[in-house]
Amino acid sequence: MRDLPYRWIEAIQDRRDYIEDQLRLGSPVVGLPYEKGSLLLTVTKGAQKIFEVHDRIALSAIGHPADIERLRMLVTDTASVQAFQSATEDVNLHRLTHYVLAHTFKQAFEAIAGEAYIIKMLLVEIGDGDATSQFTHINYDGNVNIHHESAVIGGTMEIENAMQDYLAATETDSDRSFTVALQLGLKTWAVGRLLSQRFEEAEDDAEVTDEQIDDIIKTELEDGEIEVGILDDTLPSDTKFRILTQDEIKAFTEK
Amino acid sequence: MNHKGDFLSLLKHSATLPDDTEVAFNTSEVEMIAKHDLFSVGKKPLRDTNQFLSQGEQTPGSTLEIPEATTVVAVRYQDGIIIAGDRRATAGTSVVHDRAEKVLPIDTHSVLAISGAPAMAYEIARVLKHSFQYFRRSQLQELSVEGKLRTLSRLIRDNLPMAMQGIGAVIPIFALYTPQKDESENGGKIYFYDALGAHFENVDFATTGSGSIWIRGVLRYIDRWGDTRLEDMDQRLATITILRLLDTASEYDAATSGYNAKAEIFPTVKTITQQGVETLTDEFLKDCYVEAT
Repeated sequence: MRDLPYRWIEAIQDRRDYIEDQLRLGSPVVGLPYEKGSLLLTVTKGAQKIFEVHDRIALSAIGHPADIERLRMLVTDTASVQAFQSATEDVNLHRLTHYVLAHTFKQAFEAIAGEAYIIKMLLVEIGDGDATSQFTHINYDGNVNIHHESAVIGGTMEIENAMQDYLAATETDSDRSFTVALQLGLKTWAVGRLLSQRFEEAEDDAEVTDEQIDDIIKTELEDGEIEVGILDDTLPSDTKFRILTQDEIKAFTEK
Repeated sequence: MNHKGDFLSLLKHSATLPDDTEVAFNTSEVEMIAKHDLFSVGKKPLRDTNQFLSQGEQTPGSTLEIPEATTVVAVRYQDGIIIAGDRRATAGTSVVHDRAEKVLPIDTHSVLAISGAPAMAYEIARVLKHSFQYFRRSQLQELSVEGKLRTLSRLIRDNLPMAMQGIGAVIPIFALYTPQKDESENGGKIYFYDALGAHFENVDFATTGSGSIWIRGVLRYIDRWGDTRLEDMDQRLATITILRLLDTASEYDAATSGYNAKAEIFPTVKTITQQGVETLTDEFLKDCYVEAT
């Protein structure tokens, strides 16, 4: 196939179409900083989607569960070994992204004879003391985008753009309280979910109203649960990651 | 990394630790060296470099005497466990450090108090801490109490060749708190280990190290006939009691330090409760010392 470049390009394009088709209906994930850390939020129907990687690093992803698990273990193992060989402070998101994950994604995507990963991953790291956040979005083809204000992953680029537009329009900054961040995260997730449903039904209307957001949250929570993982700089332990209980989430969403 | 197992197997897979065949080779190498007594010339200096050690001797055919110059003590009190250690590190008869940390937090609800060779003890504590974290991160749940106890047993057992040479034994106390649904229940547990890795639950208290012989009987006396039983003490009374015990140990054991008023060096004292591990501040300890003495 290498001697016929156009066939390779065609195969890559087929693979891209296939993966995007598989990802299209994935439940979006929203990453937002708040005054004391950062949160990752999604809505799930059972399986956990937000994970601790290391003391100050967490991840979430959409895609095939087996791929998510394999890559989650890869990055967790690498971070654990690095922390043991050197020190916890020497584990950072930049190294994990650029030297472990990105090239693994790219290699699998371009090796057209093998399996590609059906995945989009969002990682977050909080700083030590100042609670500044860095979000890293890794696409299935190994492309990396770094954000500081907020980050989202959704089924398509259009969905992600719409979610980012919604966040930008709310005009809150990274100093927002946790309650504000959680409620904003849930609404942003609803925007993504709504557009994902419209794509499924072949509608191309991109307008989203507050009523539609409230409706889809209500509908989706009938058989799903909000999942929130936080990296909170004020936690007394070395590990700053925690998954919120359903009671805690309920208390914050009803405020 | 494509390994299947716990943190130790991950380290072996990543070539951070030698795998079992290499360990077996090294162990037989140690046995061979011991048989030919190649360490006979260097025995004394080797022992002297181990800072918490006293002069434990191993004679052929006799029971292994574990060197453990220090005093660490754990007591089950009203809210959970209080656990403390003196700060002295010695080499032979010399005091080489007066700010050693012998009470090491392992995770949010467990603490290891060490006596024995510091290099081995700190490494065991470090592996233990990473093992618990790795289990939680990879398996998405906390390691069970039994799992934690067995991990520590395995690490102590793996250290047996060093212990047999008399240069690397570690005798720890492991204390933890199992969070309770009913907060009035006391979830504190104290475990004592021997050099081979066997663990025993001590219900009310445990103490180890060279100074422990001076206070074990006192602990028993307080718990049996004292005005307030150990498990009924509040945090302040438990702290005062434990400071008095360490002071008593330091009076009779040269390898145990008391409160250094001039340099304001206090023992390390931690509590493990429903809320987690907390290090008591120097201000609080100073205040307790005033009352204790």
